[in-house]
Amino acid sequence: MSLWDFYARNAGEVLGLVGQHLSLVASSTAIAMVVGVPGGILLTRRPAWRAPVLGLANVFQTIPSLALFGFLIPLPLIGGIGATTAIVALVVYGLLPIVRNTYAGIAGVDPAVREAGRGMGMTDWQLLTQVELPLGLGVILAGVRVATVVSVGTATIAAAIGAGGLGVYIFRGVAVVDDTLILAGALPAALMALAADALFGLAERRFAWRAK
Amino acid sequence: MGLVVLVLAACAHRDRIVVGSKNFTESDLLGEIVAQQIERRTGLAVARRFHLGGTFVCHQAITAGQIDLYVEYTGTAYTAVLKHAPVADRDSVYRVVASDYAQRFGLVWGKPLGFNNTFAITVRRRDAAHYGLRRVSDLARVAPRWKAGFGYEFLERADGFRGLASVYGLRFAAPPIAMDLGLTYRALAEGKVDVIAGNSTDGQIQALDLMVLEDDRRYFPPYEAAPVTRQATLARHDGLAAALGQLTGRISDAEMRRLNALADVEHRDIATVARDWLRSNLP
Repeated sequence: MSLWDFYARNAGEVLGLVGQHLSLVASSTAIAMVVGVPGGILLTRRPAWRAPVLGLANVFQTIPSLALFGFLIPLPLIGGIGATTAIVALVVYGLLPIVRNTYAGIAGVDPAVREAGRGMGMTDWQLLTQVELPLGLGVILAGVRVATVVSVGTATIAAAIGAGGLGVYIFRGVAVVDDTLILAGALPAALMALAADALFGLAERRFAWRAK
Repeated sequence: MGLVVLVLAACAHRDRIVVGSKNFTESDLLGEIVAQQIERRTGLAVARRFHLGGTFVCHQAITAGQIDLYVEYTGTAYTAVLKHAPVADRDSVYRVVASDYAQRFGLVWGKPLGFNNTFAITVRRRDAAHYGLRRVSDLARVAPRWKAGFGYEFLERADGFRGLASVYGLRFAAPPIAMDLGLTYRALAEGKVDVIAGNSTDGQIQALDLMVLEDDRRYFPPYEAAPVTRQATLARHDGLAAALGQLTGRISDAEMRRLNALADVEHRDIATVARDWLRSNLP
């Protein structure tokens, strides 16, 4: 069966899995941003925490997904089997680029600009929201961009823990030696990653401009 | 200079047997036993390409000549690779697999190693005692209230869940949860699902206090393990077939479960487990 026949015959299922995949990526990236951006900002205020926190985020990246799922299954609230566990794992994998780029974006603001802000009597909060965040936005967005694109690919592992997504076709295809099935999952995931990359690329250029 | 290196590399490759294995402990163990047996008996150098991503990857690797041999299961080759409808007769499965592989892929099936690693419908031991479950037919009674978690291979294969459900009349509360096979044991032990399909030789079954239900209607086809080797490799190395032949019928179901438990449960080094087994069984 060709790939197009497969899509034509299973259109409903394909759309359902694409939807699941998108919602896994969207919710995990959103949570990673909510945790990661303030985390990165905090690191610029507490330089001593930088090495241990980034080190920990680095270590998270190296945990194999199946091992991580194994740890998570017995845990209440964030564990079990299904979407929750998959999202927790994706958040863990998405944190590093967001925390790191938020830190780098703010730390990279010209000290002279910051001094000028202070000279004008800005509070720390004003300095952050009116000077540092706008100037660092391009770099921060680049981090979110990397996290999202990586997450589109990584979200295929959600299928290992009963959370669905396009990984279902990849896992099925690998299990029954069927190239068409593997492609049926991999192709939309690849397109989704390219689309996300292009979208964030546009946003990044826009905000980087404004910062100049 | 570059040419010399190239020629040397090519020579090295010719005299080296590349043994592969699939991505689970038993396959790694069998790969290691075969590899050490070749090293001991033929003196050939062996390269190990272990833990390849499943049947699909191993099959692609051996037909492409990236590996020379790996241990495959008759039932898996019969249904998953050759796409035949499942059959429960051991001998006819082996015959068909051996002749089809020789004709279509230039691959030779060695004699089976002895054990049969079939799918094992597995439940928690305390549930089995509580509900009086012994055979898969007993499962039909409790299935409507139970949750099942299965690996993708079991859900998709012709000899997997769909056939099982119709032969035994199983109807679960919800469609089975599709997940990674290794995680189903953990999910079962933690009470997240109530029944899984493991492999009958898995060491986890004893370790996690689980119980295998008897396949009383003989639904599952045989999964006898045997080395599959490239014809070209066997032709090039005289002693190879004889070395592999010494392993014929030497590993029973119980023996395989014990070896798997040594590696999976007691976390012994696979190479050591294989070496000890070879020393005491083929001195």
